[in-house]
Amino acid sequence: MDKIFPVTVVGSWPRPKWLLDALRRKREGKISDEEFQAIADEAVLIAIKYQEDAGVDIISDGEQRRDNFYSFVADKIEGVELKTVAEFIDFAEDKAAFEELLRKLDVPAFSIRTPIVTNFIKKKTPIALNEAKFLKEHTNKKIKVALPGPYLLTRSSWIKGISDKYYKRKEDLAEEFSKILREEIKLLRDNGVDFVQLDEPVLMEVLYGPELSVQTFMCAALTAKENPRDELRFALDILNKTVEGISGVRLGVHICRGNWSKSEDAQLKGDYYPLLPFLLDMKVNQYVLEFATKRAGSIDVFKDYPTEKEIGLGVVNPKTDEVEKPEDIINFVEKALNYFKPERIFLNPDCGFGTFAESPVNTPKVSFLKLKSISKAASILREKYH
Amino acid sequence: MGKVINGLDVESLKSLIEEAKKNQEFVQKINKWYARVRWAGSGFTFNSYVRNHSFTISEPSELGGPDKGPNAVEYVISALGACYSTGFILNATKRGISIKNLEVAIEGEIDNILVFLGLSNEGHPGYRKIIAKAYVEADCDEKLVKEIWEETVRTSPVGNTLARNVEIVPQISLIK
Repeated sequence: MDKIFPVTVVGSWPRPKWLLDALRRKREGKISDEEFQAIADEAVLIAIKYQEDAGVDIISDGEQRRDNFYSFVADKIEGVELKTVAEFIDFAEDKAAFEELLRKLDVPAFSIRTPIVTNFIKKKTPIALNEAKFLKEHTNKKIKVALPGPYLLTRSSWIKGISDKYYKRKEDLAEEFSKILREEIKLLRDNGVDFVQLDEPVLMEVLYGPELSVQTFMCAALTAKENPRDELRFALDILNKTVEGISGVRLGVHICRGNWSKSEDAQLKGDYYPLLPFLLDMKVNQYVLEFATKRAGSIDVFKDYPTEKEIGLGVVNPKTDEVEKPEDIINFVEKALNYFKPERIFLNPDCGFGTFAESPVNTPKVSFLKLKSISKAASILREKYH
Repeated sequence: MGKVINGLDVESLKSLIEEAKKNQEFVQKINKWYARVRWAGSGFTFNSYVRNHSFTISEPSELGGPDKGPNAVEYVISALGACYSTGFILNATKRGISIKNLEVAIEGEIDNILVFLGLSNEGHPGYRKIIAKAYVEADCDEKLVKEIWEETVRTSPVGNTLARNVEIVPQISLIK
């Protein structure tokens, strides 16, 4: 029988400097993909070791091969190209939002790259199968693979003036991404992946974006403003279409408020309340949610929205240097027990530790200690609630 | 056409500089600049005519304008950014340095905008401080980039206009 309160991660792990150098060299065409993958293999082994030593039950490959959690698809899907903000800002309706974003990040427009649909899309290679296979070969633990969700991919890559030549409406593009992702999820399942997580952080951007625009994941999402309710409905429909009827693998959706920098002020703020009616209709097994950061609000939002789904409870903040104490984690989990049964609570950090390769939010050492603290809390909780 | 760096023909650029050394008439021509700004006839919209170009100057809606273009103070900082960018490309090209990307981000802080609105007599309604940050992508060392930037700032016409006291000669003429 599976143990209760399993410990897992959201996905990314801080990359070593030599891996970042290799990523840069690959981008510049100085090394081949094969050479890069060999270097990345070593980094993945380190990420595995850290997670295993910390007592994580369901581990990831630390997303070591990716430059961030969604841009990497440009290498895997034909018709998707990495473009800089400088290359597409002229097509944006809200240019001022981009200016504000760049100013806050203190970066030039030519430095931020985001995948943009510049042709009809078609899968070139599996999106994460090589990651999953390598991970599976090198651990006896259960494994988790995160994929960018269909809504995230659509919103971040469809730009009027560029993409609409191929997909008149973003909804048409979403259908295509959905098919590719659906196929990928089945492929991952058939290759022994236990948990597939779809990352959909732009959902918080839809709700809480107008006041703050300091994330890079919604770069292209800034190009057009939409009505939040319509957007959430669209996101829900396309996510459900992607996962509907798929069994034999745990499916989760991860939602967060940005993980660009360590600064709490630089991320979105707002609770899950307005999102819950949509969230509860998602045909996934688990919601992987932030709760360690105060910006996510209270877990009591579930009071009005009881659910039989699992929760991947964010119990440590990946951005802070201070390591959360096991007793504080336990206290919080016990609060969550008001709304979720013990067998439906998974414990994880709020988000990854290195969402963006070049700007990890923590060091491997602190990240390791945080995971260890979760594992310790989980052991105590298992004793108490078995 | 000779060697091209940063989209500029290096030989032509050198000839231009040589021309400026010996041709007084040419120097006089590039030493004086003209613009004519016309009110568009309604609200805060103006058109500036410069040689064979024209552009719109407007005010954002929060300042009662139709937001048809940048306002005058935005043009001032844009002019500074454009001047620094021009100078940087010129000075890099002169040194044979290829620039892959260049961006100048400008932030200007008005000393006291209330003076402009007639609500205060303290301070002045002009820029108190302007921060200009250049982002450069080039295959050269940082020392050289800083050297080019320093030369650019030192020799910038707009930068010098803003940093020094300029004699402005306001005149008015009523046409009946």
